[in-house]
Amino acid sequence: MNLNRLAKWLPAVLTLAAAIFMMMPPRPVRGMEIEKFCRMPVLEGGRVKPLDSVARNAILLIQERQTIRFENRTLSPDEWILDVMFRPAVADQQPIFSIDDPDVLGLMGMAQSNQRRFSFATLGPHLDEIVKQAQTAMGIEAVKRSRFQSAVVKLYGRLEKYHGLRNSMQLMDTPGLFMELQTLNTPEAAARHQALAELALFKPLAPLAGQDPDAWLSVGTALDRASAGSMHPSLLPLARAGAAYTVGDAASFNAATADLASQVSSVRPEALRRAGSELLFNRVEPFYIGMIFYMLALGGIFFSWLGRREFFQEGAFSFLWGAAIIHTLGLASRIVLQGRPPVTNLYSSAVFVGWGAVILAIVLERMYRRGFATAVGAASGFVSLIIAHHLAMEGDTMEMMRAVLDSNFWLATHVVTITIGYSATFLAGAIAIAFTLRKLFARNRDEATTKVLADMTYGIICFALLFSFVGTVLGGIWADQSWGRFWGWDPKENGALLIVLWNAVILHARWAGYIREKGLMACAIFGNIITSLSWFGVNMLGVGLHSYGFTDAAFMWLFLFIGSQLVLIGLTLLPDSFHVGAKA
Amino acid sequence: MIKTYALRFWNGLASMQVTIVSMILLMALVVLCTLAQTDLGTFGAVKVYMRSFLVWRYFPGLAFPLPIFPGGALVGLVLVFNLSLAGIRRLEANWSKCGLWLAHGGLILLVAGEFSTGAFQVETNMSIENGQTVNWLESPRDFELTVTDVTNPALPQAYGVPESLLAKGKDVPLPGTPLTIRVKKFYPNATLTRLGPGDPPPLATQGVGTGVKVAEAPLAATETEVNMVTAIVEPMAGGHSYGTWLASNGIGAPQSFIHEGHTYTLGVHNRRYYLPYSITLKKFSHDVYPGTQIPKNFSSLVHISDPTRGEERDVLISMNQPLRYDGRAFYQASFGKGDQLSILQVVKNPGWLIPYISCTLITLGLLIHFGITLRRSMKKRHETQQVTA
Repeated sequence: MNLNRLAKWLPAVLTLAAAIFMMMPPRPVRGMEIEKFCRMPVLEGGRVKPLDSVARNAILLIQERQTIRFENRTLSPDEWILDVMFRPAVADQQPIFSIDDPDVLGLMGMAQSNQRRFSFATLGPHLDEIVKQAQTAMGIEAVKRSRFQSAVVKLYGRLEKYHGLRNSMQLMDTPGLFMELQTLNTPEAAARHQALAELALFKPLAPLAGQDPDAWLSVGTALDRASAGSMHPSLLPLARAGAAYTVGDAASFNAATADLASQVSSVRPEALRRAGSELLFNRVEPFYIGMIFYMLALGGIFFSWLGRREFFQEGAFSFLWGAAIIHTLGLASRIVLQGRPPVTNLYSSAVFVGWGAVILAIVLERMYRRGFATAVGAASGFVSLIIAHHLAMEGDTMEMMRAVLDSNFWLATHVVTITIGYSATFLAGAIAIAFTLRKLFARNRDEATTKVLADMTYGIICFALLFSFVGTVLGGIWADQSWGRFWGWDPKENGALLIVLWNAVILHARWAGYIREKGLMACAIFGNIITSLSWFGVNMLGVGLHSYGFTDAAFMWLFLFIGSQLVLIGLTLLPDSFHVGAKA
Repeated sequence: MIKTYALRFWNGLASMQVTIVSMILLMALVVLCTLAQTDLGTFGAVKVYMRSFLVWRYFPGLAFPLPIFPGGALVGLVLVFNLSLAGIRRLEANWSKCGLWLAHGGLILLVAGEFSTGAFQVETNMSIENGQTVNWLESPRDFELTVTDVTNPALPQAYGVPESLLAKGKDVPLPGTPLTIRVKKFYPNATLTRLGPGDPPPLATQGVGTGVKVAEAPLAATETEVNMVTAIVEPMAGGHSYGTWLASNGIGAPQSFIHEGHTYTLGVHNRRYYLPYSITLKKFSHDVYPGTQIPKNFSSLVHISDPTRGEERDVLISMNQPLRYDGRAFYQASFGKGDQLSILQVVKNPGWLIPYISCTLITLGLLIHFGITLRRSMKKRHETQQVTA
């Protein structure tokens, strides 16, 4: 077997093997099978999900990353949530609250240093002040808050989440669920049950057979019912697991977890199965693997420019389509888990935009076979997944859709089509950037490849015009069906219209001969600016129906991105004599 | 000489340069309109930038505004002319161009549809409480002076005088009644304050207006602001004057006078449109996702009763599922009073189908054209590959 054939298949096989490796369950912690416990379905944010998802989303929100470093060891989100619920004294020492703002640190009498994360115990003495400041700031419209005010509101949200978790299974500063079960009818118990029902972040007790499938119970409500004589069958195993975890009794913990699983499986087997699938999805982290292998594909292309062209080009393409398979499977799992089309919020739009660009790039690479489409596709996939990763920190990533958006048909048609339009416009821009960089740095430039790049860009712009137009129109039809305005000049609609108009301007200018190769490329890069503005910029205006996800940090990145694109446009338009590869 | 200029103008209007410039101007307008929405609200910004032929701006020291930019309507008109002329002059009538024909024809229709919407679309609201029957629509932005004969409380008879008539400041006879309303003064927007000791005497001689000071105010700019439409009126009947009254949507207190045994109330309300049929709200539902306050769905179960068509039926109106009836569409828009009140947005737009047709044409046109282009380029590539091979 020759090396080039190996390069064609081996990277893709490696990519898939990595995904399968990630599917393996983690090792027990101190002998306890905590992941089995975290497979338990709970109701949170309007949706039934495994406790593992609650843990991952909560820690991501609080800490801006998923793994926790504590006492020279790495904790998984599952171990962390069990600590928060059952060993709060330990959890309170873990430095997880991410604070960057110097004024918020100053509020607690601290100066900015290398330490970015703080434990609940450190924040404890300053809680009253933080709450007071946050409440003042929350009286002000989000867009009008100062940097300090936004930061303190953010911290307050994180503390609230932590507080909710700490009061979901057992009330803070009490010995635990066992004690509650033993003192069901004592005079103070009712007040504790009530508090527990109100503070809880999630509801862990599944409705029994024959009950309303939405009627999940919080521990507090279940205790209240138990004191009236109706004991939920999961309460006791839950109390046993909690007590065993607190003292580190692995055998009892595993036994209680097994009892809990068999109890849930007897009343809500479907919920348990779904939670299991979601846990698997969480464990594999397909978009994370995708990110890594897109980077390897990009690396392969760089090597191909240094030498052994065919070998590295084949290998890179193989990494690209391997990663694309993982990316596709990840998207498909989300669709199945959520029961909705792929794009429901800013996070999923980023995942989908990247996916669209990668798929288009694979088609282009199959057509032209010059490695450029692989490079551009890998870069687009990587960048979009990085963006998605940062957007995921805004909170739950599989949230429920608000009433007006709750339409699978229009989500599937309008949102998906328009997002493919974004993908294509970005891809055209990315090819144009590759064109410019090649002109700047490549020493041997053959005219045929230049021609191919121009052809690709032109074709993708046609594709982008079609999809962004159809997507915009479908949005208009959705609006007409929903509130009687085909076109309401909402900022997001306007953003979509800008993309359509700009692509039409480029094509008309090209047909009339006002722009040629260079002009086409410069215009395509400008398309990146317009698309980024209509994708993110309008959310920052804070008006209209689409302003779903305002972030300050995003504003800075957007600003930098636009600046970089303007510089690239300048470089594209430089006379040829400035380039390394210029013919003397 | 004139002929050559006319010809050049004619040729210029059909040129691709005009197309491109118009599209870029439209892009600029879209950006300006979007940015202006934070200050003016969507409705205000669209009026200034999109539904106008020129964008006007006041400059310090000048009493009148100056045009600073072409408005959306003008650019749209130029585009339609440009497209039509280009179609006639440039596009050859052959099959390879049929996609372009379709797309551009559809585009002309789309712009025309937007003009029609701007001119003819009427947006109104219908607020109904559970169990209530309503046979009128209300405009959210237009007001009228309402004179209501409430002699029979079960069957009040309302007569409206629209703002446009009030603004003329003339005598308005109310058909079907012995009354004539003499309009003494009209304010499209006013500030109403309690009359102070040093203030000039009030214009009104009767009712709450005798204790109110009225000052003219600039028109509301954003959607959240509401104009206080105020009029000083003198109702007359049978040669008798019933005094001068102040009527405004800023005043909630009832004001009434009696003529020949009939009691009439006076007030300014949102303009009403009466329907030949009535709608009863049987039940408003507000669903949330389990364990949260996140809204999942809103719906109104209503009963339509239409004696003219003989229709008696129930309909469920919910998010994304409007009722289309009698040329109007009824949408679930809002709610209130502890889920006892449902607010429907009611839209009448005779041109509502135009965008559907035009967009289908454009999509089809683009698909055909790009399909043809793609096939041609694939063929060319195939040939060059064979040549180089």
